Amino acid sequence: MISETIQNTTKTFKYSFPTCTNENVLFNLEVPVDIPYDGSTRELVQRVINMFHIPVYLEEELNDRLSEFVADETKRFHNERDEELLNKLKNNEINLDDVVQKWEKLFKENVVEFAEQKGTPDEEVFAVAYHKLVHSPALETILQVENSYAKTVMNTLKNRDDDIVKLTQKQTEEMEEKVRLLNTSTTEVEINELATQQFEEQALVSGRWGSQLDALCQTQRTHHRAWLMATLQEYQTTSALHTPSNSPLGIFSPSPCSSLPEAPTRPRLEESFTIHLGSQLKQTHNIRIVAMDLLDLCNVDHDNPTESSRRLQTSLSLYSSELSAVILLSESPPERPSPPTTQLVDAAKSSTEYHFHDVEYQLREISKKVKEPVERRNTQRSKEQNDSNNTQTHNNPFRNRWRQNLQTGDIYLTKHSNLADVHVVFHLVADDSSLRSGDITSRHPVILGLRNILKAACSNDITSISLPLLLRHELSEEMTAAWCIRRAELILKCVKGFMLEAAGWGGAELRTLQFAVPTNTAPEVFSTLANLLPSIFRISNPVKFKANS
Amino acid sequence: MHSDHEENYKFAACTFFAKSHPGETCGSNGLPLTPSSISILGRAQRLLSIEHPNLCTYLDIIRGKHERIIVVAEVIGKSLADLKKKLSTEEIINVARQVANGLQYLHANNITHRTLSDDNILIDLNGKVKLFNYGIFYMTYGGSEVAFPLGQPRYLSPETILNSGGPTADIWTFGVILLELCIGKLWAKLKPGPILRRILGLVHVNDPAKRIAREHNSIEEYEQLPKYLQTLIEKCLQICPSKRATITEILQDLSNVDTKEMCAVKPPRGLMGCKLQYLYHWWQLAGGDIQVELKRNGLIKNSPPILSIPVAILLDGCTIGGKTGVLYDRRIAKYSIELLQSRLSHVSAHDYYPLMHERKKQNDAVTLPKTIRERDTEYQFYRLLWFQRLLHGYPYTAPYIRAEAEIDIPPLVRGDVWAALLGVVGDIEEQYERIDKETPTPTDRQIDVDIPRCHQYCWLLCGSAGHRTLKRLLKAWLLTNPQYVYWQGLDSLTAPFMYLNFCNEARAFACLSAFVPKFLHKFFLKDNSAVIKEYLAKFWQMAAFHEPRLATHLHDINFVPELFAIPWFLTMFSHVFPLHKIVHLWDAFLVEGPSLPLFMGVGILRQLRDTLLESGFNECILLFSDLPEIDIGECVKEAIDMCRSSPRSISYRRFTNDTVKKDSMDQVEIPMEVLFVEICPRISLSDFFSLICEDKCCVVDIRSNLLYEKSCIDGSVNVPYSGVHLGRHELRALGPQPERALQQAIKMKRNVVIASAEDETAQLFSDYLVKCGVPRVCILHGGIAALQTHIPSLFITPPTGNTGK
Repeated sequence: MISETIQNTTKTFKYSFPTCTNENVLFNLEVPVDIPYDGSTRELVQRVINMFHIPVYLEEELNDRLSEFVADETKRFHNERDEELLNKLKNNEINLDDVVQKWEKLFKENVVEFAEQKGTPDEEVFAVAYHKLVHSPALETILQVENSYAKTVMNTLKNRDDDIVKLTQKQTEEMEEKVRLLNTSTTEVEINELATQQFEEQALVSGRWGSQLDALCQTQRTHHRAWLMATLQEYQTTSALHTPSNSPLGIFSPSPCSSLPEAPTRPRLEESFTIHLGSQLKQTHNIRIVAMDLLDLCNVDHDNPTESSRRLQTSLSLYSSELSAVILLSESPPERPSPPTTQLVDAAKSSTEYHFHDVEYQLREISKKVKEPVERRNTQRSKEQNDSNNTQTHNNPFRNRWRQNLQTGDIYLTKHSNLADVHVVFHLVADDSSLRSGDITSRHPVILGLRNILKAACSNDITSISLPLLLRHELSEEMTAAWCIRRAELILKCVKGFMLEAAGWGGAELRTLQFAVPTNTAPEVFSTLANLLPSIFRISNPVKFKANS
Repeated sequence: MHSDHEENYKFAACTFFAKSHPGETCGSNGLPLTPSSISILGRAQRLLSIEHPNLCTYLDIIRGKHERIIVVAEVIGKSLADLKKKLSTEEIINVARQVANGLQYLHANNITHRTLSDDNILIDLNGKVKLFNYGIFYMTYGGSEVAFPLGQPRYLSPETILNSGGPTADIWTFGVILLELCIGKLWAKLKPGPILRRILGLVHVNDPAKRIAREHNSIEEYEQLPKYLQTLIEKCLQICPSKRATITEILQDLSNVDTKEMCAVKPPRGLMGCKLQYLYHWWQLAGGDIQVELKRNGLIKNSPPILSIPVAILLDGCTIGGKTGVLYDRRIAKYSIELLQSRLSHVSAHDYYPLMHERKKQNDAVTLPKTIRERDTEYQFYRLLWFQRLLHGYPYTAPYIRAEAEIDIPPLVRGDVWAALLGVVGDIEEQYERIDKETPTPTDRQIDVDIPRCHQYCWLLCGSAGHRTLKRLLKAWLLTNPQYVYWQGLDSLTAPFMYLNFCNEARAFACLSAFVPKFLHKFFLKDNSAVIKEYLAKFWQMAAFHEPRLATHLHDINFVPELFAIPWFLTMFSHVFPLHKIVHLWDAFLVEGPSLPLFMGVGILRQLRDTLLESGFNECILLFSDLPEIDIGECVKEAIDMCRSSPRSISYRRFTNDTVKKDSMDQVEIPMEVLFVEICPRISLSDFFSLICEDKCCVVDIRSNLLYEKSCIDGSVNVPYSGVHLGRHELRALGPQPERALQQAIKMKRNVVIASAEDETAQLFSDYLVKCGVPRVCILHGGIAALQTHIPSLFITPPTGNTGK
């Protein structure tokens, strides 16, 4: 900050001593010394004595003289430099306002006693309140309330979908009828009119539902937050909290909806390991490989009673320093989401977000915030490219848009309180076609993006991450067994390297790393992949019970 | 004004964040930049070793999560800022003198305070003054490793405001503080900007002191001050740094002023009389937690991390959104040691002063594992005081220290104890000073490559301060041992000494210099193959001696020690284990002596026995390429057991530093070629004799029964070699009597000594016994013939019919 790099100088230390035969003839010694000198002058004396074969009886004197020399010169060095500065100031060669403003800014932005007094922001107050409540007996009620609210939203969504389906059906019939009568009683113009009309109807209906949903979520959010704060108040005054009496369960009570018995699912392929990393000091991590859709970590099935235990864990740790995250690959910019981001948006919108902005707002905000830095970076990048490759055409029509877009390897993040298992979603921007090819290397931007994700996890207390092992969410034809193994090996080795590296960053420790492969991966391929793990990571020694030891 | 409980506050902590490096920058060596907190931690270590009556001793520098640094230091009384009453001239002079004393010491040690202010000058009831946290400018490399500005605006000297300044800046600040003490707080109601403007405005005036006084309407007050005080203030408040007095001149001036001598305070006794470092250590063991108090005072605020998640991270690491910088809070949290006092309240007064020749009562905790003992407050209390006593008397107490170190070594004084165990004496600083550690040498390149890979998980060793020290140590060692070369691994070997003596390079060097000849004599020769081969052969023999089944298995799959054990022994395991395990391991080595490492190797094999027995060659290679977790406590215990129960002569090596000429009775030396083929070690005649006397061995005489019947060792079993089927690995095949004798020996853990007329048969038969799974087999050196010449009294003529068959 303040101190600029000190410009060192070199001064010559002169010393002379008589020759042995003649008192008046002197040996002259000249040694250049860096000022300020950051070593020990006594050590320097020893080096000088050895190098120039100086008689040892001079050692003491040389010690004194050199340390005195260094002290004097250092003092002079500082004084001369400072005096020059002060003279400049005296002669108004230094802009006093600049200097003072710089300091003012430093003090104001970095030191408590000079900073503007700010109260605790609302979100933090609410965070503390919520964290306290979910760690109290009120937890169950909170979850029930949230669940019932969610069901209301779900029902509304269902009604909307039904409505739209009905409408679409009706419109299709209408249209078919019209088309059948084309050239008999209707004209193309009429059909076009109908199409426009239908489109407007659709827009109207979805708009109506949309605003209805928004209103519902808004009301729920306001109610819920107010209720939580009130409950906390009660908790603090009575200090003994039983299940809250003022539960608003009645307000948005959902119409009972028959939940279908769950279809028996195929047992999930999964394998877990505890591993040790590090050559001397070992850190322990949990690693899991599982065949699943990563979006399952997001979707909540509000009708399924077992889901509440997942939600419970997620709620408990929402404001803790043990967050969990999932990495989703995304091909599109945040403002125009495509799958799987759209699926995430659906999952996030299936219930009200009580803590953060709703996901669409977040995405819009992200695209606003990244615009400027991304544009700067991309311009810089294309400039560098052009420098190295002058023949490139400049008339790229997509250039402008490209300029503002996130590129492969960039990441944007959304945070959520209403997903099943995760709090944070890393959207890793990746160009799908390059990931299809089998020959990406450890220098590929997506891999570097992974590194940035692990680093961000480390500095933001994210201790559990799930990621697509093959960097693909679904199987496709080019993903042969050999392809999968090569890709998995690359990812595992890179991730291992990043984890080792992260150990030195002094942030949160990554506890659990979950690698997901597509659900329809063949069991043989899965077991080959699972076998890769213990060969790349060192599995910790299982404690063996010895009967007679 | 002062309340009594204030006296209980013994130390205080403050905390701040180190600067974080933006994006993805790399250092000049291509490696990622060292985090700022690591640099600070390394540099601050030197402060921990500063002790001066007018400086608060630094006790600990802690690196927290996310680049947080916590500084713990001694604290007394209250700060000048908290002192509400105005001081008399005499009191001012007293404060000034002590502050100047502290400053002088700092300047003499090339430390600039730069942050001197009224809130870090502490004064207690007796008028004792100490400077608190005087090292923040030093530890942050002149403030460059933190984002916030150091110091308070009103104490900054004009040149400091212009981003410059040397130690003389402290003199200006000293002058401002004196002036404040005389006329009251300066610019009390102004914000930083105007204050700085005013200070810079002073460059245009000739007498800044008077100008300031006038500005505060205190010129009369100022002029009423004693003349010498005015002169002193004016000498400090000179715009031009070269005209300011030096700290030595100021002290001189102050000593000319007559003031009452401060009344001498009797040094406290009992717990309060113990070294502050010990108190802090015990307090922590008793459950004291630095972070808790900081949190309670709001100095550590934990905003939920999810609220500060960034919105995007670009490929180059540029983070958008997310955390904003945390404000620096100058306040400190004070800690009382009441917790410790109540924990140790039952300790009687004379336990604080243990006497060396007093019979000591044994502490019950001794039976617990070392790692638990190291966390036991009371146990560490007694041990530390006792060791302090012993170390005080070193080198005369060396035998006592060795005896106590055998039990355990308190972690706080491990560095001192190791030096004592290695016999480090004399003016090591001067010896070290004489070695040229700067001049470049051809090995530097290799050293530079290895150091950033040496125990880098340790925060002390991975910073630039650590790298620099390690390099100096290595260069110094190579220069003083010209017969040796740098072998990779020397860095790991140096690391533990450096870790324990971080601020005492000379002692780290002296320890290393004493350690190598003792444990690794000739290991660092340019051609060390013979030494290493002998060592490994000996290790293999020890493995066969204590773990015959395992050794046979490894022999069978041809998994030889050359494949895995060279780094074990070349670095005395310091390359294999993390530092916290190495220290326990070496504790034992230093006490037990140079043959323990061999058994330690066997101990590791023993711990992995089950896995190894099931593994083939490839699995073994894989297993050892990244050694699994080893329970060091258990391993050391077993190694010591093995070492103590083995006859001395079986672990004999020719390449040791032992110059004592051996008696022919103690000879076991055999040509190297023979050593490489023999699976079982040789036992010397004198060791054999003592085993016989203690009835701890089973002698197997493998000469023909004719020779045996003529004359044999009393109590020996005859197994004529010619009758043994080497292919059948069953003891039963030897006949009922030898089998019984050998089974008995295995059960009683006796040594099995093969006595023969010629070496070849002894060797083949001993191999055979190892393959049969008989432990503790060794060969009598020189065979029957030598024994007959030296100890004929052991021989008898066996009664006929006693020869089996």
